[in-house]
Amino acid sequence: MYKLVLSAVLAVSLLVSSAMASESIRLCTEGAYPPYNYVDDNGKLAGFEVDLGNALCKKAGLTCEWVANEWDSIIPNLIAGNYDGILAGMSITDERRKTITFSDEYYPVAPSLYAAAAGNTIDLSALKGKKIGVQGATTQAAFAEKKYGADNTIVSFQSFDQSVADLMAGNIDLLLADGDPLIPVVEGSKGALVYVGDGESIGGGVAIGLRQKDIALADKLNAALTELKNDGTVDALIKKYFDKGPFYTN
Amino acid sequence: MLEFLIAQIGQWLGEDIGASLAYISNGKHLAWYASVRYTLIAAVGGATCAVLFGLLGAALKQSSFLPFKWLGDFYTTIVRGVPDVLFILFFPLAFEKGVEYILAYVKCGAENVAATTGWPPCDAAQWYLSTGDYLVMACVSLGIVYGAFAANVIHGAMMAVSRGQLEAASAYGFTPRQVFWRFKVRQMWAYALPGLSNVWMLLLKATSLLSLLQIADIVQWAGRLGAANYFPRVGLVHPDWRWKYYLVLFLFFILMTMISERFFEALQRRASRGMAITGSN
Repeated sequence: MYKLVLSAVLAVSLLVSSAMASESIRLCTEGAYPPYNYVDDNGKLAGFEVDLGNALCKKAGLTCEWVANEWDSIIPNLIAGNYDGILAGMSITDERRKTITFSDEYYPVAPSLYAAAAGNTIDLSALKGKKIGVQGATTQAAFAEKKYGADNTIVSFQSFDQSVADLMAGNIDLLLADGDPLIPVVEGSKGALVYVGDGESIGGGVAIGLRQKDIALADKLNAALTELKNDGTVDALIKKYFDKGPFYTN
Repeated sequence: MLEFLIAQIGQWLGEDIGASLAYISNGKHLAWYASVRYTLIAAVGGATCAVLFGLLGAALKQSSFLPFKWLGDFYTTIVRGVPDVLFILFFPLAFEKGVEYILAYVKCGAENVAATTGWPPCDAAQWYLSTGDYLVMACVSLGIVYGAFAANVIHGAMMAVSRGQLEAASAYGFTPRQVFWRFKVRQMWAYALPGLSNVWMLLLKATSLLSLLQIADIVQWAGRLGAANYFPRVGLVHPDWRWKYYLVLFLFFILMTMISERFFEALQRRASRGMAITGSN
């Protein structure tokens, strides 16, 4: 009898501790894609997605810890289990759906834009023999490869910063990037960079990347996200960081 | 060159030195300075491992038991030929996979491992590597790579120890093991130190590869801080400043070189005490 009680207590305490452990998850972001995510003056991860992720965790009753990971290995390391969710300006695509799953979208992605050095005349309808820069493994990279890959050289960069630096240095003729981080760069270049054409609409909305088997976590985050969309928290954050919207409330 | 540098640093500090000082002492700059600890830990830890692997490798190379000798020769030949970048990428990944493979069999059961296609077969087999774990891996990786160089240096130094000293020790009745440790190893340091100081300098430079292991070291922070910023919300708006930050790293490594040279000079003086070789006092 004594043994039975003891083992029951042990089993319950194990269950409780594993339940408590499952309340804690790790979220990952890149930390180099403002205003989505960046490292602030205090050296901490910050930005739209960090605020949103923290609000989501609070709503869903999860304890969240943030980790930074480079963009090009962000999906493999999710699958390898280094963290449980990605909030890094990642658009929903069919290609990515083959390996991971997505939550509902939390931001409708902005159109992608082309930028080039001022004075470098570029005709988008007849691009030939040009060097077109993109950040590797992005929707823009896949788009540029498909549309211009045959007649031009597509140059992939590890980070958005690097692609801008190479455009400034004249190592590429044209840069195709997400409008949200690109617009402040062009505006801030004091006329050194100009837009080319009207831009492209690429990719679905931005959502949390999750492992395909973590269905319970996806449901939990989606429920919290719906609540935050309805009560205006998501729109308020979008207004704060992107100065746009509202998208999810009237 | 020097005038240019001074002019640039003056321009960088600008009229408003106060604001510049506040900028270079904000949280993310402090995080950058603090990340020097990773470089120093990896260098000292790596060097310790390298000397241990070096001694082991040299001992193997001298062994009269042929398979041991082959093992020692194999180690110094193969590992010296592999680029350190490759090894630092390869070893931690291979080690992690190996441990997870064993964990999978122990914790999940062989039938589960065979049944699942994904990895890991069960959550208990997941090994999450923290920065500290990666740092240990980096030390061991650096130790293995530079231990191969150290093994050759130490092997050569052991050969340089005067035979007369060893024969005299034997004649006094010391056992072969005592002769090895108390005479050969004790005296070889004086011959090995110049070579080992070279290996140390190479190892110190190789610590700049730490960011490959997701460790936020001085090189990664320098790139992050120097990257152009156009968002006032993120911090000071500035163009691409990476060259300034890399210049600071240059100066840091030069300073470390100068300190290391002094240190090895002192070490050499100590190791050469009472020995009839050049460089002793």
